[in-house]
Amino acid sequence: MPNSNAVWLTPRQWLVAALGLLALFVSAPMLWKQVETFRPGPDYRVPYALGSDYWLYARHCRAACRQGKIPVIGDSVIWGHYVRPDQTLSHCLNDAMGENRFANLGLDGTHPAALGGLIEYYARAVSGRPVVLQFNPLWMSSAKHDLQTTKEFHFNHPRLVPQFATEIPCYKAPFSARLGIVMERHIPFLSWTSHLRIAYLQGMDLPAWTLENPYGNPLAALARPLPEPQNVEAEKGGPWLSGGSQKRDMAWVDLDSSLQWLFFRRAVERLRARGNRVFVLVGPFNEHMLTAENATAFGTIKTQIERWLARNGVPHLVAAPLASDLYADSSHPLAEGYVLLSKQLMNDPAFQTTVLDRRQ
Amino acid sequence: MLFQTWSFLIFFLVAYPLYLLVKGTKLRLPWLLATSYAFYAWLDWRYLIPIAYVSAVDFFVVARMARSDRKKRWLWVSITNSLVLLGVFKYGQFATDNVNALLSALRIPLLLPAPGLLLPAGLSFYLFQSMAYVIDAYRGTVERETSLLRYATFVAFFPRLLAGPIERAGNLLPQLSRTPKITARDFADGLSLFVVGLFKKVALANYLALYVNKVYAAPADFQAPALVLATFLFAWQIYFDFSGYTDMARGIAAMMGIRLMLNFNNPYLATSLGEFWSRWHISLSSWFKDYVYIPLGGNRRGSFNTYRNIFLTMVLSGLWHGAAWTFVLWGAVHALGRFATRELERTAFYRDRVPAFVKQAFVFAIVTFAWVFFRAATLGDARLIVTRIFTSGLDNPLCPLLAIVLIVAVWCYQYVFDSRLRWALEFPAVRMGLVVLMLAYLALFAPSGEQPFIYMQF
Repeated sequence: MPNSNAVWLTPRQWLVAALGLLALFVSAPMLWKQVETFRPGPDYRVPYALGSDYWLYARHCRAACRQGKIPVIGDSVIWGHYVRPDQTLSHCLNDAMGENRFANLGLDGTHPAALGGLIEYYARAVSGRPVVLQFNPLWMSSAKHDLQTTKEFHFNHPRLVPQFATEIPCYKAPFSARLGIVMERHIPFLSWTSHLRIAYLQGMDLPAWTLENPYGNPLAALARPLPEPQNVEAEKGGPWLSGGSQKRDMAWVDLDSSLQWLFFRRAVERLRARGNRVFVLVGPFNEHMLTAENATAFGTIKTQIERWLARNGVPHLVAAPLASDLYADSSHPLAEGYVLLSKQLMNDPAFQTTVLDRRQ
Repeated sequence: MLFQTWSFLIFFLVAYPLYLLVKGTKLRLPWLLATSYAFYAWLDWRYLIPIAYVSAVDFFVVARMARSDRKKRWLWVSITNSLVLLGVFKYGQFATDNVNALLSALRIPLLLPAPGLLLPAGLSFYLFQSMAYVIDAYRGTVERETSLLRYATFVAFFPRLLAGPIERAGNLLPQLSRTPKITARDFADGLSLFVVGLFKKVALANYLALYVNKVYAAPADFQAPALVLATFLFAWQIYFDFSGYTDMARGIAAMMGIRLMLNFNNPYLATSLGEFWSRWHISLSSWFKDYVYIPLGGNRRGSFNTYRNIFLTMVLSGLWHGAAWTFVLWGAVHALGRFATRELERTAFYRDRVPAFVKQAFVFAIVTFAWVFFRAATLGDARLIVTRIFTSGLDNPLCPLLAIVLIVAVWCYQYVFDSRLRWALEFPAVRMGLVVLMLAYLALFAPSGEQPFIYMQF
């Protein structure tokens, strides 16, 4: 060969190299699990900083299911944005039960479009189990929340939303990027490399990390422990009115035309197709924040949601409004709010039959 | 469409098996042209208009030339057409800016409007390829192509469309005329080229670009060490970027049973500037040699004329790269470098006594210095960088060590490959290990995001 532009291999050598590479791709994530210290306690939730680490989420999900726990899936309301890990809904449910039956599988910012992807690709382990699935009406509170605006904007978890199947008007990622996301969902090695980036390299790829840490040793960074599931926002939590917020009108999207509701329905259907017993928790939502007229509009939507769930035989609970000072904002309860919410659930007959398997 | 994207992988997985199916049939060329145009239109469908136009014009010009007694007139029709296209799309803005600056200096209250035209990716590459065919046909060194379909495929052949190599009709057209015989070895060779090219582009060029872009975006914020290192890194970035593209292009073509010409051959191991240009972007430097330098008189009429011809050729080559004075200056610096190394090679001491690695280092230093003008956004920036390199203080450059380690590793590989130690790289286990390492690095650590190739803009 006249030049060094290639490392020349014969067809047979290519075959050997390909097999070696395949072995590496398959074994590396599995070996990593042996090396990485991951001991989720009873109140474990995926750390806020690792909110887009879906490989870790899947690992947490598998660990929880292995322990026979009931997954509570939803957005930051389930995750517990303004509370400590031992104040979340799953913790309160465990307290009420007197045993660790529920696992916090909430993820900050997972609107229904993303929730569908999370369940489809990273929560396969929950198949066949009872599942508590939360729907936060906040995601229908404007065309932007509902992802219906045609102007592109950055929303949470674009890697979880449908890339090709359903068009999301505000999502304009190039074809190749979408294809890369699809590949990552189906090739565990790729989601594992994302895990390494997010968990150990400050969310950057190695080149960008070395630019920030020019003399740093990336191997030393990879040897660091995983971040803790604590949350700085927990310290900031306080009643919404104390923050100076005022009543407002929300531009609710019609249920029939709502993308987020469409995605949520699909998520429910997907879970049921996998043999899950799905219990839907609608809310909680801070209705004290709405003007009287707006609260009426919200009430209509709530009724429509409830009707759809009832019509389709989906056990559910529309969370009763909490006291105003138990909300940190439009939908996040404070610690005491979660206690009351867990009581609502525990007292709900459908919850008892579907989730706790207690016949009335 | 960029080679290093998932889109290309899907494109290739569709286009290639069908190509294998139809390669022995009449559908081979239509399929090749369709896939080439689809590949190009993926970037912007409007790009198809100038490429189809150029293909048609040059095809018919040569057809008319063959039947005409006034061949030269048809040659000039084609060359003028190509230069006008280049002028309009590529140099329109540059010319307008300069004319407006001149009018302003002369206090003439007139402002030419900006042309605002979309520069088709790879325009200079396919225009030069087509021009070479017309000139060769005029000279009688290639046979006239009788099929417009084949000629359009020759111009648009997708692996080399965006950034070369600038193929010669004598090499590529005959290959398009016959049914390719593709063996497992061809496929393996093509894959070997493609993987190395991919590694060069994604793992190396895109990585080095991070530091280079940071420093060159605001050179006034950095001192000598950072500016020197950024320029050093750019020298390697552009090499990895461009040679990576051509490796991938040659690799894909090889898998299709088509041999494209060698475009890079360890240029940073050159011991003179002349040798550098016979190792760097070989298809362009040979184009300028054949169609500019030699017609100007080459080295046949004494030293002055030789140097004048070298100077003109290098400046034109600079202008080919981009419509800015920085590129003109880059070409001029190379011309001066060629004068210097040419004169030094004439002295017995330099020729016989100076070790090769000293000559290599000297040539590398000149080439790297010239990259300042190539990379700087403006002449002002280039002047600032050169000034600060020699006058500013010594602060911590904060340059990633890993980038330096990777460059040293590649340089060592090339050095060993060109030395008597090459046998060490011949062991199958070493080669397979290197391939697995490269692919594993790409999968694990490659920078995210799509970075276009630098030379696509030319």
